[in-house]
Amino acid sequence: MYTPKINWFLFVLFLAATVGVLIAAMISPSLRTLAYAPLREAVLPPPEPIEVSVLYSTEKEAWLNEVIVDFENTNPTIDGHPVKVKLEKMGSWEINAAVLDGTRKPVIVSPASSLQIVSLQDASSAKFGKALVNPADTSVCHSVVRTPLVLVAWKERADVLWGTQPGKSLWKDLHDALLNPQGWAAYNHPEWGYVKFGHTDPLKSNSGYMTILLMTYGYYGNTSNLNASDILSNADYQKWFLETEGSIGQFEYSTGPLMEKMVAYGPSTFDIVAVYEATAIEQAQNAVGRYGELRVYYPPASLWSDHPFCIVNGDWVTTQQNQAAKLFINYLTSKPAQEIALLKFGFRPMDKSIALDQTGSPFDRYAANGFRSDISGNPDVEIPAGNVLNTLKDFWSRNASK
Amino acid sequence: MKLRILSILIILSLLLNACNSIQNLIPSEKLTISIVYGSEKQAWLDPLIKQYNDANNKTSGGKIIVVQATAMGSIESVRGIIDGSIQPTVWSPASSIYIPVANSEWKKSHTDDLVTGTPKDLVLSPVVIAMWRPMAQALGWPNKAIGWQDVAQLSTSKEGWAAYQHPEWGSFKFGHTHPNYSNSGIVSIIAETYAGLNKQKGLTENDLNSPDLKDFMAKVESSVIHYGASTGFFGDRMFERGPSYLSAAVLYENLIVAQETKRINGQSSQIPVVAIYPKEGTFWSNHPYVILNTAWVTAEQKEASQLFETFLLDKPQQLKALEYGFRPADPSIPLTAPLDSEHGVDTTQPKTILELPSAPVIEGIQTLWRQEKKPVDLFVVMDISGSMRGDKITTARDSLLKFINKLDDRDRLRIDLFNDQITTLTPLTALGDKRQQVLDSVSGIFEQSNTSLYDATLKAYEDLQTEGDPTHIRAIVILSDGEDTSSAATLDQVTTKITGSENEGGNAIKVFTIAFGSDANADILKSIAEPSGGKQYDSSPETIQKIYDDIATFF
Repeated sequence: MYTPKINWFLFVLFLAATVGVLIAAMISPSLRTLAYAPLREAVLPPPEPIEVSVLYSTEKEAWLNEVIVDFENTNPTIDGHPVKVKLEKMGSWEINAAVLDGTRKPVIVSPASSLQIVSLQDASSAKFGKALVNPADTSVCHSVVRTPLVLVAWKERADVLWGTQPGKSLWKDLHDALLNPQGWAAYNHPEWGYVKFGHTDPLKSNSGYMTILLMTYGYYGNTSNLNASDILSNADYQKWFLETEGSIGQFEYSTGPLMEKMVAYGPSTFDIVAVYEATAIEQAQNAVGRYGELRVYYPPASLWSDHPFCIVNGDWVTTQQNQAAKLFINYLTSKPAQEIALLKFGFRPMDKSIALDQTGSPFDRYAANGFRSDISGNPDVEIPAGNVLNTLKDFWSRNASK
Repeated sequence: MKLRILSILIILSLLLNACNSIQNLIPSEKLTISIVYGSEKQAWLDPLIKQYNDANNKTSGGKIIVVQATAMGSIESVRGIIDGSIQPTVWSPASSIYIPVANSEWKKSHTDDLVTGTPKDLVLSPVVIAMWRPMAQALGWPNKAIGWQDVAQLSTSKEGWAAYQHPEWGSFKFGHTHPNYSNSGIVSIIAETYAGLNKQKGLTENDLNSPDLKDFMAKVESSVIHYGASTGFFGDRMFERGPSYLSAAVLYENLIVAQETKRINGQSSQIPVVAIYPKEGTFWSNHPYVILNTAWVTAEQKEASQLFETFLLDKPQQLKALEYGFRPADPSIPLTAPLDSEHGVDTTQPKTILELPSAPVIEGIQTLWRQEKKPVDLFVVMDISGSMRGDKITTARDSLLKFINKLDDRDRLRIDLFNDQITTLTPLTALGDKRQQVLDSVSGIFEQSNTSLYDATLKAYEDLQTEGDPTHIRAIVILSDGEDTSSAATLDQVTTKITGSENEGGNAIKVFTIAFGSDANADILKSIAEPSGGKQYDSSPETIQKIYDDIATFF
């Protein structure tokens, strides 16, 4: 008679503990794993996921789509809640506009370059009295991969125009080719029509903005000390600049679609475009299946797209979302994600332990197309002050926008 | 006791299951999105729409998406959108060329653009000159590059194909669609303008005043056999009727691939046709998918339209596009068979494109074309027998009035009325001088007596042969609501007369017949219209206006 009583006692204890754990897990999803699994899944409602919305520039779409699956396969949780990443792509400047006008309230913004982060910091401080991003705080804002702006041409036509390497006056040479009334006939190829160049809309897309900035430096033949009067007070520069811009039929809204168009339409429509190195790498193989090989040219001075990921300092971002965002950004800078960025998508990792020209990397595979891991011989241009950046943007907007 | 608990549990679980099943049986609410699209992609799009609808795809709100699509000439459809006669969710014209003009027209009565952002391309196909292979070879194809200038030269040559050692082919018969209705028509006249000015870019409104250009355009247009509402339809006519009807026409590359696939599979007995990529440059037909920025498109419809767009751009659907002769918009799909020389096309082409002019320049070119296009000599032969009384005569009269207003001042018009007699309401003279008088006369038409269809048709045909100018488009429109009851002539005499002009090919007099109402003998009218290169229509008071609109696209 004594033993059954003990059994009853133990059974009730077990039942109480189970119910207790279930109730506790209901209150705090972090205790969910303690609950008996079959019972837990049958009884407890699934924990609410923490959604990390990311407003990002299109160029890194394919990489992000791939690493997000890997990230979510690691079953990341904050306080027992699973972390879900929700992506929305936009042109880099459009990201700023959407956050500033309140049409989007993301947890993370990731434009193509720190140029937009600096601009968003200034603009949000002016508009809301507090900065929505802080590039100086590396715990919430840092670059994850980088890639320089390059010119990409169809190899057949590049061979006729510049051969394997253009001169130091690349931007001036480009202007002259575009403005030559004979077009390709001046290079003994009248069947190719006029020379067609493309870059994205500088008001919407970072690569378009980087192009007009590098072009302006190219005109002056220097890499620093650009000021507003260089843009506003030099009629020769203005004529030269607007002639180049006037030769462009349409400015695409974003870099990925521009490069896709180049490959989808072929040399009839774009002879040369200004895009990121990684964007060019992404389409290098596709190009062969459509119209032939590509040739990449590095401008004499470089400007980088460094893909910052910044957690937005907005009142709509909860503490848990902030923590979840950090988990995600940390994953992006982990070795597996960085290796995928290089090997599959042609980005230059921030992790310096990963060799750029290792066997099988795009720099190895597409070396014949002109892709080079070492461009340290080309100096980086200085990022001008905010007012100079805005002056150039306004000048373009008033005079070159279509 | 245990058994009872078990039974209750089983019954409960069955009930729960039943609830679930019932829920599944309750149909979800449906959400319809309507798409108006350029007819050239119909063969690709129709099966995909069926597949998408069959899959019961849902919006985030749980509504089942139903896609309804209508093929229509690209320019015609946007005119309908602007005047409010059609209100689709999505507009997918053959190309982006007309978007700036559409936006500028729309903004005359709205604050926003009709098309915002950069719509995605669904599929690509260059605009080409489709030509029968032996004719292209006579021009030097494939070793010699051929362009708009060569077409112009052939068009203006009095010798026609004799200048290329082929007198048996007769005159050069050229065709492009109507620029007021179809994308390839607009493209054709922009390309003609560039060729006439010897330019490839930088077209200005001032350029359009050049007398040389006007002369050039008039000459090229003189070889056009007739115009048409949509490129898909125009291609069908060329490939059905063969080289005696049309030597060459401005089409899209995919239509040539589709025709050559048919020919290779034994479904067409025509000789091979090839794509000529004009050496001066061309345009792309890029089939943008435009979710319209209008008040009648709801947020739900916008979401559903985006889901359908994603479906069309997915790889399996893009690979299907290749089978239909399109160049997929997805750049990861290589350009492989049937995009090859066996199917008359060359994927290393085009080598260059022409610059897209601004909206005012495009509108200026349209105006110029109206002045220089090939004029029409048109006979309208209208049944006014007693059976036309009531609603029939009223709608026939009203739609004829609207039809007359679509004709240009340079067009020449004669109207014959027939019952047991034939009366000429107005002789074949330029409409510009008599438009109001003709409109007044038509307004006074009334019905009476018997039907002498054959006499009236034969007389009209013979008179147009003698009175008409063979350098004009010559056409007869016959409207009849019943069988012939009182003619001296027979149907045989009529059809013999028409088939006797077969040597004129596409330049022969075209007869359009409208069987008005259920008493009309459509078969007889068809046997009159079809040998001429015209078309037979079944009509009623409800549809007569649409039919007159369709006939107007030929001129």
